Amino acid sequence: MKTFKILMLLIMGLSIMGCSDLEEEPVGLLSPDGFFTSTQDIQTAIDGSLTHAINEEIWGRKLSIALMLRSDMVNLQSTQTRRVEMDTHTITGDNEMVYDPWTRIYLGIAAANNAIAGAEDVAVDEAVKNPVTAQAYFARAFYYFHLVRLFGDVPYIDTPVDDIGAASSLSNTPESEVYDRIIADLQWAKTWLPNTQASRSIPSKGAASSYLALVYLTRAGTSDMTYFQMAYDEAYEVIQNAGTYNYALDPDFQTLFNANKIDNSIEPIFALDYNNVEAPDNAYDQISPMCGIRGDDGWSVAVPTMAVYQSFDADDYRTRVSFQTEATINGTTVDFTQFDISGHEHAANQPYMAKYSRYPGEFARGSKRATSHNYSMMRYAEVLLIAAEAGVEVGSPLALGFLNEVRGRARNGGETTNGGYVEETVAASAVPADLGSITVADVLEERRIELAFECKRWYDIKRRQLGDQVFSASGYEGAKPEWNSAVDYDTPIPQDEIDRNPNLTN
Amino acid sequence: MNLKFKLITVIALFFSVVAFAQEAYTVSGVVTGASDNMPIPGANIIVVNTSRGTSTDFDGKYQLEVSKGDVLKFSYVGYVAQTVTIDSQTTVNVSLAEDDNSLSEVVVVGYGARKKSDVTGSVSSLKKEELTAFPVLEAEQALQGRAAGVVVQSNNGGEPGAPIKINIRGNTSINASSDPLIVVDGFVGGTMPQAGDIESLQVLKDASATAIYGSRGSNGVVLVTTKKGRSGKLVVEFNSTYSIQNTANSLDLLNASDFADYQNQIRANQGNTTPYVQGDYDTDWQDLIYRAGSTSNNQVSFSGGSEKVNYYASGTYFQQDGILVNSGYERVSFLSNLDAQVTDKLKVGLNLNGRMSKKDGVSTQSNGSVTVGGDDVVSLAMRFAPDKGIYNDDGTFSTNDLIGDEVDNPYAVATQRDDDTEIEDFRANFYANYEIIEGLAFKTTFGLSNKNEFRGIYMPRTLAVTAGRGLDGRAIMSEDKTKTILSENYLTYNKEIGKGNLTLLAGYSYQKTVRKGFYSEGTGTISDSFSYYGLWTATNLINGGSGDIYETETEIQSQFGRLNYDYDDKYLLTATVRRDGASNFAENEKYAIFPSAAFGWKISNEDFLSDNETISNLKFRASYGLTGNPSIGAYESLASLASIYASSNGGTVPAITPNQPSNPDLKWETSYQSNFGLDIGLFNSKVSLSLDYYNIDTKDLIMVDRGLPWYLGFYNDQILKNVGEINNKGFEISLNTRNITNDNFSWSTDLVFATNKNSVTTLINGDDYFQNGAPSYFSVNNTAILREGEEVGLFYGYDYAGVFQGGALPAGTATLPGASAGDPLFADIDGSGDITNDDQTIIGNPNPDFTWGITNNFSYKNWDLNVFFQGSQGGEIFNMTNVQLNNGDANTTYDYYNSAWTAASPNTDQPRVGNNSFREISSRFVEDGSYIRLKNIAVGYSFPTEMIEKLGIENLRLTLSAQNLLTITDYSGLDPEVNYYGSAGDNNTASNTVRGFDFGNYPTVKSVSFSLNVKF
Repeated sequence: MKTFKILMLLIMGLSIMGCSDLEEEPVGLLSPDGFFTSTQDIQTAIDGSLTHAINEEIWGRKLSIALMLRSDMVNLQSTQTRRVEMDTHTITGDNEMVYDPWTRIYLGIAAANNAIAGAEDVAVDEAVKNPVTAQAYFARAFYYFHLVRLFGDVPYIDTPVDDIGAASSLSNTPESEVYDRIIADLQWAKTWLPNTQASRSIPSKGAASSYLALVYLTRAGTSDMTYFQMAYDEAYEVIQNAGTYNYALDPDFQTLFNANKIDNSIEPIFALDYNNVEAPDNAYDQISPMCGIRGDDGWSVAVPTMAVYQSFDADDYRTRVSFQTEATINGTTVDFTQFDISGHEHAANQPYMAKYSRYPGEFARGSKRATSHNYSMMRYAEVLLIAAEAGVEVGSPLALGFLNEVRGRARNGGETTNGGYVEETVAASAVPADLGSITVADVLEERRIELAFECKRWYDIKRRQLGDQVFSASGYEGAKPEWNSAVDYDTPIPQDEIDRNPNLTN
Repeated sequence: MNLKFKLITVIALFFSVVAFAQEAYTVSGVVTGASDNMPIPGANIIVVNTSRGTSTDFDGKYQLEVSKGDVLKFSYVGYVAQTVTIDSQTTVNVSLAEDDNSLSEVVVVGYGARKKSDVTGSVSSLKKEELTAFPVLEAEQALQGRAAGVVVQSNNGGEPGAPIKINIRGNTSINASSDPLIVVDGFVGGTMPQAGDIESLQVLKDASATAIYGSRGSNGVVLVTTKKGRSGKLVVEFNSTYSIQNTANSLDLLNASDFADYQNQIRANQGNTTPYVQGDYDTDWQDLIYRAGSTSNNQVSFSGGSEKVNYYASGTYFQQDGILVNSGYERVSFLSNLDAQVTDKLKVGLNLNGRMSKKDGVSTQSNGSVTVGGDDVVSLAMRFAPDKGIYNDDGTFSTNDLIGDEVDNPYAVATQRDDDTEIEDFRANFYANYEIIEGLAFKTTFGLSNKNEFRGIYMPRTLAVTAGRGLDGRAIMSEDKTKTILSENYLTYNKEIGKGNLTLLAGYSYQKTVRKGFYSEGTGTISDSFSYYGLWTATNLINGGSGDIYETETEIQSQFGRLNYDYDDKYLLTATVRRDGASNFAENEKYAIFPSAAFGWKISNEDFLSDNETISNLKFRASYGLTGNPSIGAYESLASLASIYASSNGGTVPAITPNQPSNPDLKWETSYQSNFGLDIGLFNSKVSLSLDYYNIDTKDLIMVDRGLPWYLGFYNDQILKNVGEINNKGFEISLNTRNITNDNFSWSTDLVFATNKNSVTTLINGDDYFQNGAPSYFSVNNTAILREGEEVGLFYGYDYAGVFQGGALPAGTATLPGASAGDPLFADIDGSGDITNDDQTIIGNPNPDFTWGITNNFSYKNWDLNVFFQGSQGGEIFNMTNVQLNNGDANTTYDYYNSAWTAASPNTDQPRVGNNSFREISSRFVEDGSYIRLKNIAVGYSFPTEMIEKLGIENLRLTLSAQNLLTITDYSGLDPEVNYYGSAGDNNTASNTVRGFDFGNYPTVKSVSFSLNVKF
């Protein structure tokens, strides 16, 4: 009886205590374990990757403006060191216009890796989930493509990081190998992505294919005929499938830069879709004020030189669309010869860029920030120009036609403004006339005009090694004495990152 | 495995007891107390040198089998033991004398109790009389100045219901909590009961005492034992206290006309010739926000018991009107203890504790994040323009919009803003104690606790700056709920082996805590009339981040053991070990082991001292051990994803991105503690002195390394690492003297004195570690620094070098750009000729050299007098209030106004008046914070028994007391007991490292109290 009581007590005590394995099973925490159960979860992870690109640290300002300043078309009006370094090609390792895009691009890559690895946990047919997962492959390629063009050799990671120690001491992966991985990702994406998507901000098969064409073209550099052929074939494939992919040039060039109309255009192939929300963590764009006129919602930071304006044919509709020649400065409407009536030290009496500030749509923050723009990362006109450029290299008889198709659209005119904010319809014209013959230089010049200020020019200068020419005294920005083609095509990896991992080298 | 093992142990122990028969008969009797002739239940009677014995029942009666020649030893806690040799008596009645030697006191230690004289660790004990010597809201407050090495401070001066911080032997962490573990009647992590319900309170300070609490022992342990009933008739006790309170201090600020003159001087200095237009009012804002406050505390308790059952039940109602308009606090609490001796061997009991409180808060010492310019009443009252009235002409509340950042007026903030905190806290703890065999007892406890905390804040539109003008009201609601279950099971075995005495303890403990809660904030409510309940109508709902809506679950399972071996009442050995496994520990470091060992030597029991007339007691103690600080939050070591904003196809879509990697090797923080102590009793213990020296090396401190390469792609690049090291060493004295003791008059003195010297040994990458002790709108950073080799939390800023008199700069000094005569000079640390960030340096030390407290108790016949002084010496204060007041964009003090440099009177150390956008963090604002405070003076009268007996009253006592009546200090601010955490707010890091900053504290109060104690 006594023993029984003791046993009872002991059992009572022991039964309460239980025995725990002490494993944590968080409910309130977003844990990667167990997060992925459906294709929607994969999509959520992919959206986490793609959305980094819209951040102020990438396309919202830092990378886009850096690319403009490094080109031969945009001058710096302000004096911040980080921007001066971009404009004069004296970039140092602690420039935040390098550091911020570097960090943010890698956030996008890690998020894509998370989506790709997470998809393996989703118990759904490959035929169902791969078309979704393929967006992540596209996103990863999109980010690495920027990295490799900016920096050359970079650390390459394509899985979620578990072993922090090993990953923290990685060395750079050579540029050519990074390109191979980008191509592999885009090919996978092209295999699985659907022909069309609900929005051009969601990667499609045509987007993967178009980017492949650009990657091949970039890899071809100035002379690799194999890659020129691949670029041509890929671009031509897109053109042949334009109907399937639902791509065509927009009849009105202005539409591409009109946030109120862009959603219905079928020219964008892959776009960053901003939606006029002043999102946390600077996840919105500020390009418009950076390029805008002081007193007219602008900060007068990045401004084309007069020579650039003069290099455009005044009768080309694209000139009207690309340049702001009139503004309303603190209530007074003036032409560009008087833009300095704002009295601001950075104001310049020359035409400013118009592609961002003229039709920003609804915007959530003052100075036309957090706009509704859809910025085309790739549009059909560029595919035509890729086909034209590669076509010239490989001797395609179709090259001239592709180039002229782009020029032909510009002749349409359309609904724009007087160069300021007065709505005006421009009638069709004979300018620019079709070319009768074609050279590589013709295509590059067409890209410069057609894709002006769309952050393509620096990459063109780099892949075609045009620096010594365009940064000489005859360049649109005049001589850039500090330009050194031996080192300045590559961006230095941020010093802070090298401090964190000394195995990285520039 | 566990169960099996324990069963085998129990069974083996059973058979090991061999009973042997001999010629015997039964002796019986009653054990009573010598002074009151009351029976003593539970007194121990043992047959010396055997294992036979018994205890008295509830009437003090006992029976025991004895044989002729046996020696019986009668003992009971607090009484002098007696021995009686059995001849042939059948009745032995014993009257035990009370032992006034404090060494016979029993102190509670973890999972048991020890005679104070046998304790080998460092333990401070407080008795119930000390806890209730003056009225306190929280029992913690009564610890201040009474336990050596224990620093107690309100988080916010005299604010009703402000949290009380206890720091034992310095702070052993940087980023984890430095709060001690509170154990209430065995419930680990309990809420402190109200002071009137506490029987005794022990502060465990060294590893020998705390290592039994393992990973939660680093910061010391406070063990609380609540009152229990005694067998006998029902005792009803009524305690009532009423206090009247006033602010202990206010600043001498400029009146309206001097203020206008001050502003004009500023303008003149700036070359501005437009005169300041003086307003129509002359308002003393401090006068408007302060009022006479009051507290009342009423407690009724019932206690008593029968043979088998005793009980204690108490209810307390506390109510306070704060000295700031609209601030208040009320609390009702209950506590009951029920113990039943079910059989000779089985005892069960239940402890219940419940309290509900409501606090009406007023914004004070805010971190400045709500509005540019702040919304805290006390600092607003100091700076707000005195030439403005409460209301504008249109009836709206005035704002200060002429100088500085626009702010709401302090009266408006005090009266318009709602800030309610409601807390309900319930705890039940059951125990069963079974004596399996003689000397072997099994105890199991099972407890539950549940705490809910609701907070609602509403700022109405009438506060134009804070919540008007397009914001249209700001509402905040939050709720936090914590549930804990605790199950502990342990065996205690006690055996005398020859001259030795062995006590063994082995146990298992399991504790699970679940917390969940939310925080939500919104602006744009439909109407002010709904207060914070209008949150749901908010047009702009600010979603909380992931930390604002949470559920966390933590489990700790532990094994613990202790061995006490005493030999010949001379040599004492204690060894403890605890193994803690915790769910919040990282994957590869789930279990932690914390051992300790201690040795005690009762030198006075050695032959060469045993007959010494002077030295009645001399004991040496030494201990060494490891204790931990769990430091890792739930899920903190796990990989996580972050939810981020994303847009797609013109809309917002859910999106995630990798947030942080898992950190499987993250460990708890460990303190390596050694303690050496000497207990000395002189002149038959008329003088007792305890000296302790300790050294605590805390290692593996968790620090943030901003060092993950970004290319890993984690949103949060901060990774936690176990790298920091801090050392605390100190010296403590506790002295108790009974100066005079005779029939009519007695006088005793208690003195405690403690020093603590801390130093930062290792920081991550050797880098300085900065904190900000300024409100966020000051736009300054790095006002407090941790640097290797220095003390914790030093002030950091510019080294003020007096006033620039024009002409050449004195050697080694420089000014800010564009300075002219009358402007401040600073030491040009980097020799660059101008003042930049590189000229910042260490400018002060908030850590006191020593803290002390002295209590004198006098009694004359029925009168008694308690005088309690308490103080702190050598710590400095950074007067952030003056940084604001002397900056020109606010009102200022006459001190500054009258002493500021002018061309006419240049011989001063205060610069000329001016309006600087630069908030000067310099040594100019560092002041000595030493103080001596008359914490309490109380006169009591106990009515003679013969006078009240007829009324059926056993005891009647009246007390008149005053708190904080006198403070001696050179500090120019409101009060030297400061605690402002700056823009970071009250978090672990700030409370460990941001010290000695004064800004907008709720003032400390002076009070006069009247107390009544009646016992029936």
